[in-house]
Amino acid sequence: MAHGSSVAVEQYNYDIVKKFAIMALVWGVFGMSVGTWIASELAFPVLNFDIPQITFGRFRPVHTTSVIFGFGGNALFATSYYVVQRTCQTRLYGDLLPKFTFWGWQLALLLGVVGYMNGVTQAREYAEFEWPVDLLITVVWVAYAVVFVQTLRRRSQPHIYVANWFYMAFILATALLHIFNNLAVPVDLFSTKSYSLFSGVQDAMTQWWYGHNAVGFFLTAAFLGMMYYFVPKQAGRPIYSYRLSIVHFWALSFMYMWVGAHHLHWTALPDWTSSLAATFSIMLLMPSWGGMINGIMTLSGAWDKLRSDPIMLFLIASLSFYGMSTFEGPLMSLKSVNALSHYTDWTVGHVHSGALGWVALVSFGSMYHMIPRLYDTKLWSQRLVYAHFWLATIGIVLYITSMWVSGIGQGLMLRAFDDFGNLAYTFIETVTFMHWPLVARALGGAFFVSGILVMVFNITMTIRTARQEQAAIEAKIAAKLARAGA
Amino acid sequence: MSDKHNEQAVQTTGHAWDGDLQEFNNPLPRWWVWAFYASVAFAVIYWILYPVWPVGRDYTKGVLKVSYESNGKTVTSHWNTRAVYIEDMQKGEEALKQKAYLDKVAKASFAQILSDPEMMAFVRSIGKGLFGDNCAACHGQGASGVIGKFPNLVDDSWLWGGSVEDIHRTIRDGHAGFMPAFRETLNEEELEQVASYVLSLSGHKVDPAKAEAGSKIFNGQKGGCHYCHTHQAKGMKSVGSANLTDAVWTIADVPDAPDLKGKLAAVEQVIRNGVQRRMPAWRDRLTPEQIKLLAVYVHELGGGK
Repeated sequence: MAHGSSVAVEQYNYDIVKKFAIMALVWGVFGMSVGTWIASELAFPVLNFDIPQITFGRFRPVHTTSVIFGFGGNALFATSYYVVQRTCQTRLYGDLLPKFTFWGWQLALLLGVVGYMNGVTQAREYAEFEWPVDLLITVVWVAYAVVFVQTLRRRSQPHIYVANWFYMAFILATALLHIFNNLAVPVDLFSTKSYSLFSGVQDAMTQWWYGHNAVGFFLTAAFLGMMYYFVPKQAGRPIYSYRLSIVHFWALSFMYMWVGAHHLHWTALPDWTSSLAATFSIMLLMPSWGGMINGIMTLSGAWDKLRSDPIMLFLIASLSFYGMSTFEGPLMSLKSVNALSHYTDWTVGHVHSGALGWVALVSFGSMYHMIPRLYDTKLWSQRLVYAHFWLATIGIVLYITSMWVSGIGQGLMLRAFDDFGNLAYTFIETVTFMHWPLVARALGGAFFVSGILVMVFNITMTIRTARQEQAAIEAKIAAKLARAGA
Repeated sequence: MSDKHNEQAVQTTGHAWDGDLQEFNNPLPRWWVWAFYASVAFAVIYWILYPVWPVGRDYTKGVLKVSYESNGKTVTSHWNTRAVYIEDMQKGEEALKQKAYLDKVAKASFAQILSDPEMMAFVRSIGKGLFGDNCAACHGQGASGVIGKFPNLVDDSWLWGGSVEDIHRTIRDGHAGFMPAFRETLNEEELEQVASYVLSLSGHKVDPAKAEAGSKIFNGQKGGCHYCHTHQAKGMKSVGSANLTDAVWTIADVPDAPDLKGKLAAVEQVIRNGVQRRMPAWRDRLTPEQIKLLAVYVHELGGGK
């Protein structure tokens, strides 16, 4: 560092946070664009162009991997490294190890995505990576855990801040889930093909144990960690209730592990297994809402901030969508509701109200807070943050409502009878019905993508401005030193 | 402001992180606690009613019962999705409605069904779904087929017979449509001659000399076309050979060819390469009642004989 001669090592390692934050945006733009593309393919199949690599089946895991692990994962690495340093008031552990987590994670994502497009997949939802990439991820994750725990251990604060519990739970649970879901036997050492250790319904059960806990610990607990730091910071107010944070943390962690089987209602899975999952899903509602209450109530007394602070809008809207999806989830986990909703777009809409509404909005808000601080500057434009907020919100609302229409509509059509007791609709009629909702959904996706593009522009300008400011200061100092020397 | 009051009343935990990051120690919201208890109560009631908890190699069965008929006996079991399905198919309101009609149709002959408006209304209702979910993938939603691939079912031209009995047999047992390829047997000139003759049969204006030569091949040993298509070229439903005189084309796309050259080329193509088509047998996929209903439905699409 040109100006850092007096301080041998900066107090915090921001370089790694910057890297992850920028890659979160890069993967976000890519993954969300691919999502909009495949949404358009469903409405207009001609967009497949008969190119195997971009057909829906291959492109869908490219989308889910890029947004969950690319956008979400990088945002979590960035914010967790930022939060753990600032709340422990210590520098991140190690120097090479965090760098290894960065490059290893990007490489795994890239290998995965290129592989999927060329048909290399183990076809496990949200875990399509084949075994070599799984091994790479395992090593990266262990390195991540070491960096995080060692940083916590070096803290100069007696207590561990609540956000870190959530990040810790996320790191531990993800390790557990990743390893057990990916137990597979490669065909041979030089083949990318492998077969799962489990078979039949046990394999399905393992996949959804993983699948739902990926939602629980990757997309919920970890982002709650993000929320617990950035909401009180941005609001400038203490967290509403320490007690609530403890109780809902343990309740959430305990309940989530049981609920995966609600994805397998009315299948070959034994009834008791899926009923048990349904009841735990119901009991999960209030623990989930604990986080929402704590976040929203933190703002009580500072509601006027919603009028003046667009970042607060992102954070509060994300908590509202979080509350809505965690209400909708238990509802859909009941067998009778699931009989209608399962295999329809309602599920897709539900996932996206969580993914776009909660995960993406809380990440956007947090990054708008964090990135200017990383570069020691201000956001280039507040108005563009507003623009992003409204583009994203319109996109989400379009997305969710069109999927309700499509999913509930198809579900009702599939179970409609006529006067003779015959099914009233053929399957293809229900698909034809879905066309316009699918068009509206793709449009919603396009709104959301244009929002993140506005963000990328705003952040780029912010970083450029910061660099110019930095250069100006350095020039001044150099001039002063030169004068002093002369 | 009530909030100021609040801040004074509620203490923070006394810790501060990263400068200003603190926590109030507010009690758990009452409604939140009670809502959580309510969800636990809901779960416990659920556990009493339904199979839920694994116990050793078994599981708790719950108090809800389901009963249904099996082999003339009433079976009662604990609530489970398979039993619920069987019960619904046996006792459900819609299932009973449908079953009444199915029983009636099963006992009736084709003639009786065709002459009974109520049974026919049922056929049209159930046939739409059966056809849409099983047949439309090839024959099209409107059953008008695809030239060259899948026969049109709404016209009155039938390769394998258009009576309701014929259609029934076709659906039940399927068919293998076959015409040999003549590319080894006939040269290009002869192919054109046969094609000219075939087109002349349905009133197209062709070179009479070529058609005459084609007729010799068609009706002689060289082509042997008449074995299947007959000397009158009317076809035979026993082997599914096409009637070549009715100007209905199922394989050669004659109507869409702009001129005689194109029409000849279309017919030559079929003679050169032959035909291999398969209509699958549905007897293992659909029930006898469903096949019977489908036969009547297809018969009524417009072209039944």
